[in-house]
Amino acid sequence: MFGLDPPYFRKNALNEQWCLSVEEHIIDIAWSPDAERLAAITAEGRIFLINVQSNTATDKQIGYHAHGGNSVSWNSDGTRLATSGQDGRIQIWDGLSGTLLYTLETKDNWVGRVAYHPKQPVLAFSAGRTLKCWRESEGIIYESSDHASTIADIGWHPDGAVVAVAAYNGLTLHTPVRQSNPHKLHWKGSSLLLAWSPDARYIATGEQDSTVHFWYVDTGMDAQMWGFDTKVLELSWHSSGRWLATGGGISISIWDCSGNGPAGRTPQTLSCHFNRITQLAYQPLGHYLVSTDVDRFLLLWEPEKHDKLVGATSLSAPASCVRWAPLGNNLVIGQFDGVIASFTPNSIYSDQDPRTDVVI
Amino acid sequence: MTTKIPVTVLTGFLGSGKTTLLNRILSENHGKRIAVIENEYGEIGVDNDLVIGAEEEIFEMNNGCICCTVRGDLIRILGNLMKRRDRFDYIIIETTGMADPGPVAQTFFTDDEIKNALYLDGIVTLVDAKHVVEHFNDSDEVKQQIAFADVILLNKTDLVSSSALDALEARIHTMNAVARIFRTQDANIAMNHILDLGGFDLDRALAVDPQFLEPEYPFEWSGCYPLEAGAYALVLDSGPDPAMNIWISALSDTSAGSMHTAINTAVLAFSSNKLIMQSGNTLYPDNLLYQLQLYAPPLLFPIEIKKSGVYALFTEHHPDEFSAYLKNSDGNRLHPVTSHEYKPDHEHDDEVISIGITTPGELDLDRFQVWLRELLSTKGPDIFRMKGILNFREMPERYIFQGVHMLFDGRPDRPWGNEPRKNTLIFIGRNLDRNELNTGFSACLD
Repeated sequence: MFGLDPPYFRKNALNEQWCLSVEEHIIDIAWSPDAERLAAITAEGRIFLINVQSNTATDKQIGYHAHGGNSVSWNSDGTRLATSGQDGRIQIWDGLSGTLLYTLETKDNWVGRVAYHPKQPVLAFSAGRTLKCWRESEGIIYESSDHASTIADIGWHPDGAVVAVAAYNGLTLHTPVRQSNPHKLHWKGSSLLLAWSPDARYIATGEQDSTVHFWYVDTGMDAQMWGFDTKVLELSWHSSGRWLATGGGISISIWDCSGNGPAGRTPQTLSCHFNRITQLAYQPLGHYLVSTDVDRFLLLWEPEKHDKLVGATSLSAPASCVRWAPLGNNLVIGQFDGVIASFTPNSIYSDQDPRTDVVI
Repeated sequence: MTTKIPVTVLTGFLGSGKTTLLNRILSENHGKRIAVIENEYGEIGVDNDLVIGAEEEIFEMNNGCICCTVRGDLIRILGNLMKRRDRFDYIIIETTGMADPGPVAQTFFTDDEIKNALYLDGIVTLVDAKHVVEHFNDSDEVKQQIAFADVILLNKTDLVSSSALDALEARIHTMNAVARIFRTQDANIAMNHILDLGGFDLDRALAVDPQFLEPEYPFEWSGCYPLEAGAYALVLDSGPDPAMNIWISALSDTSAGSMHTAINTAVLAFSSNKLIMQSGNTLYPDNLLYQLQLYAPPLLFPIEIKKSGVYALFTEHHPDEFSAYLKNSDGNRLHPVTSHEYKPDHEHDDEVISIGITTPGELDLDRFQVWLRELLSTKGPDIFRMKGILNFREMPERYIFQGVHMLFDGRPDRPWGNEPRKNTLIFIGRNLDRNELNTGFSACLD
């Protein structure tokens, strides 16, 4: 079916650990820093806390957002969980017990994203067109002026110095902790999501007009990549910061960002999907790349080594979220049908030459 | 894959009755579970838990072309609604009174995620029958809303006389000849006239009056006369114009076929050099274009017919405007055995108009694509909507298409079967040149 190359393809490359269903489209899902819990939120707004053991998981609903959920985020020590929804609220939960601690009301009915600072107990969130930051001990500590549209995505600099905001007309870089003036990176288009490279050299954005931008953070210059089939909603950086994987259609492009960057270089292309890709996720501290598509396939790659498929499985519905655990030893998939499933890559073979160790 | 969900867009100026109509739709017992996206805040008084308020957000793409403009708020909210699609089976978008429907429609053409999950069933425009005329001159939006509509409700008809309504309806019809127009009070309309239109009922949309779909001609009238050899005269009185072009030609017979040939020759003749004629100058059936000077009536132009036969007279204006007629040497008035009125091309350039083309003949795919691409790249901003059923050479199916500005979407439909194969297409827009469109399209025919 895929034109599989037997020396590379391993039938048992992924082991399913556990699987459960909350029966509503999973909008967002996040691992606690210690990988012992997961938070999930559905399109209908229900919020679940999931306790994870090695081969089992138990879920409980801890609350909901009326009119639908949008995102979840853990703070750096896992003691707090923030959720946002279309009821204009942010809710802060105890990360262990799932008890509701705080409710922040905004006047906007669309609280798109919540994102905790990578180290400090500061929560950034987008409320309509504004970015706000909140600290448990002080309340709101930062509020931006309006962006050109409802904010599409936000993302902290890996060390937490800056929050980048993606909206219509490009990126805005805010420094809410130091409180200096925001810096605009203009683009006449609509940026839908952003991804900081782990080394913070680049911010990649996926665009409504079917392009990807690489913003050089130190100069504010950008390189535009085009040729995508559709708007680009899938971006994932390799943990080294050297490669960016992009979707935006049925093929995966891997852009080499070493040296002078991706401009003028032909990306590596991975093509085994026959329908639109829904998610891409590089393994942290590892080599695997996972991709999923609307035909319900989940594919596993090792792009550093070759363009061949190393594993594949079929899901009960397309994946809406693919999240590696922080150490990369576990993978959780949230699906359109409410199924949440966990897999581990079968690491026995991953560091050996696949040609000498074939299991079909 | 699951079936696509229909979307109806409600547009209309503030006060035209959008909210009344929306409330009517939501309270009507039609068995649909409807999700509503509202750009106009605070007006809705309905009990429906899937009402989502959103501020209009226009996204222009990089090149700044209006044709690439989409609605960011709709992409975001519709994208989210698709994740809850088991909750509803119909979506209604109520725009603000000042909204341009262009970006709304374009969103359904350009965003793949939306295109794959939803289809634009129809744009319903409410028109305040009493006040709309005031906005025709000062508002682009009201004209855009009418131009984009699939259905137009002339609402608040109780506040307007029936003659004013007739005039308004006629005017709206020239702007958008394919929309169905209904007259309503309190937005009272049967649901099947506004919902589940099928999105693409082109046969209905293009079943407009036959005169409307005729190509543009440089003459308004023709008459066909069997004449014996002898002396005749064209008699005219004063009229609205100081001059009029006419053309006289011999026909082989009085059949429609020979008249059709003559029409094509006449179109060419009317763009050739004019011979200026004063009252008293003699005219001949010699295929020359005459321009009759009409300063001092009564006017009489002798016509000399050397050979008995059938003759056609084409006149730039309708003869009735000048009380014009043909008489023989005995002074008797002659009546044509057949006559035909043609649609004039007297529209102002900046007015929104509909231009229809209907013609037999097989289209060459390559030539058509080149022509359409060129047309849309130059006239895209002025073309609000287009629809058509096309007859491509060697294609057994009807090819149906529709477009918004520069965006174009088409597909083969059902086979032609016994139906006569022809091309029917319509453009709604401004600054459109009928002759240019006709000529361009005709050049794509074999």
